[in-house]
Amino acid sequence: MNPILDIQHVTHSFGQHTALQDISFSVKQGEVVGLIGRSGAGKSTLLRCLCALERPQQGHILLDGVDLTTQPERQLVRIRRRIGLVFQHFNLLTSRTVAGNIALPLQIAGCPRREQAGRIAELLELVGLKGFEKKYPSQLSGGQKQRVGIARALAANPTLLLCDEATSALDPESTNSILNLLADINRKLGLTIVLITHEMEVVRRFAQRILVLDHGRLVEDGTLLDFLRDGQNNRTLQTLLADIRPSLPAFLGETLVSTPPQGHHRAIIRIVLSGNGASEPLFSALYEKFGVQTALLQGGVTTISERLSGDMILSFEGDRTEQALDHLKTAAQNMEILGYVPSHP
Amino acid sequence: MSPLILKLILHSAWQTLEMVVASTALSVILGLPLALFMIATGPQGLYRLPFAARLMGMVVDAVRAVPFIILLVLLIPVTRFIAGTSLGTEAAIVPLSIAGIPYFARIAEMALREVDSGLVDAVRAMGGTRMTIIRSVLIAEALPGLVTGVTVTLITMVGASAMAGVIGAGGLGDLAIRYGYQRFNTTVMFGVVVVLIIMVSLMQVIGNSLARWLKH
Ligand SMILES: Nc1ncnc2c1ncn2[C@@H]1O[C@H](COP(=O)(O)OP(=O)(O)O)[C@@H](O)[C@H]1O
Ligand SMILES: [Mg+2]
Repeated sequence: MNPILDIQHVTHSFGQHTALQDISFSVKQGEVVGLIGRSGAGKSTLLRCLCALERPQQGHILLDGVDLTTQPERQLVRIRRRIGLVFQHFNLLTSRTVAGNIALPLQIAGCPRREQAGRIAELLELVGLKGFEKKYPSQLSGGQKQRVGIARALAANPTLLLCDEATSALDPESTNSILNLLADINRKLGLTIVLITHEMEVVRRFAQRILVLDHGRLVEDGTLLDFLRDGQNNRTLQTLLADIRPSLPAFLGETLVSTPPQGHHRAIIRIVLSGNGASEPLFSALYEKFGVQTALLQGGVTTISERLSGDMILSFEGDRTEQALDHLKTAAQNMEILGYVPSHP
Repeated sequence: MSPLILKLILHSAWQTLEMVVASTALSVILGLPLALFMIATGPQGLYRLPFAARLMGMVVDAVRAVPFIILLVLLIPVTRFIAGTSLGTEAAIVPLSIAGIPYFARIAEMALREVDSGLVDAVRAMGGTRMTIIRSVLIAEALPGLVTGVTVTLITMVGASAMAGVIGAGGLGDLAIRYGYQRFNTTVMFGVVVVLIIMVSLMQVIGNSLARWLKH
């Protein structure tokens, strides 16, 4: 299948400053892609190129096979009607009601006035704001404003939904509900979504694929599980991952040694499990087979890309610890021995 | 206060209102497009023409730099050309409007500049044409500020129209000078001041509540 979006060697600069450098990737129909990177990495600039607000100086951007970089402005105006954009600060018109805001893309697309009210009610139902037609944006909470922003972005049936830090101005609870809404929309409508954020937590749950942008370059392209499995990541990615990964408590880290000490000791390991591995009765199996006692120090089982995945730090104690570790190596996606601590029975 | 004086004051108040309303209307009708032109051709604008923007800014500032009393005299030939006469209430509307157009244009420009550029981006990203952006974003979002600008212009015109007595325009200011200052009739002077205060206060109150109502 042809990709819905194909970005080829895009380079863009502002004066002396190169904001994007030789970016290439493609997005398949129905995919949810998380575009992550530190502030100033060029995420918004890339997004503005994708929705034809900015014309990159070099490279090509193909949307459904049409090259945005070579279209005249008159054509771009039409092409933009097929792309939905959701903003960090909502960007709702304060002079219009909720219904008026959602109606604007419909009016622009030339939707007959009779059909607008029905479509608006349908969209408000979808985003969970039934009956909010006559309210003004100033009467809404941040989360509600963003729901209106999403309804507006979906109004003209876009083929692609782009979100620029759509949850960065929201509290954790609203962030959660907005992310659930976006996941829901992707499932129900099969809509392709590119989601920009600087928070790994935002892409953790439902981005099927993650792109990491660093100083205008695309430095990683893969799934979160890939990144956890490889371990050997780019520095930017590591710092971003640190936000969502369990870390060894400082007091334990201080007593850690790299070789097994004499006498009673515990091995401290970091382990990544996915799919079945994450839901199997792992700890009891280790005890039955090797007599190894396992304790969970940090982390646990979470959802990554709508699948169960385990990312945890464990402590092992027992005479057959080495065999248990060998056994784990085959079951786990990634296993790393962090070190050993003496134990005092 | 004699009925004659009252009649005189009411007649003059009517002349003042005529000048103020007509010249403010013309200032808005011609000043708003001017403000949109300066915004649209400016550095962040929809039709970038930096040279045209700067030239227009200079013309606007030049007219605003001339004190109204001097403008009034300078414009006598222009007034005669447009109004057919250089004397009277209707004739005074010409110089008042010429002073009001750049005045309102600058105020409107400020109000339009206040509009969040994110909103322009949002409507541009939806595929809105430049006309849609000007109508639905720039003007619609700046409306409360524009209404406040109209209020300020109205009140400024009340002040400026007092000087229009110089070209025989009549009005409250003219009445106060002729009766109050030249003939020491303090009753007329006092009456004029009271009517002016009521007129200006009403404009301000109505303008403020309209702007507040538009602000949602
Ligand atoms: N319109 C602009 N003019 C000049 N520099 C810009 C402009 N937009 C972005 N930049 C610069 O480009 C870089 C990338 O910006 P941006 O894409 O907004 O980053 P991000 O969204 O990842 O935080 C930054 O260094 C920023 O200062
Ligand atoms: Mg950004």
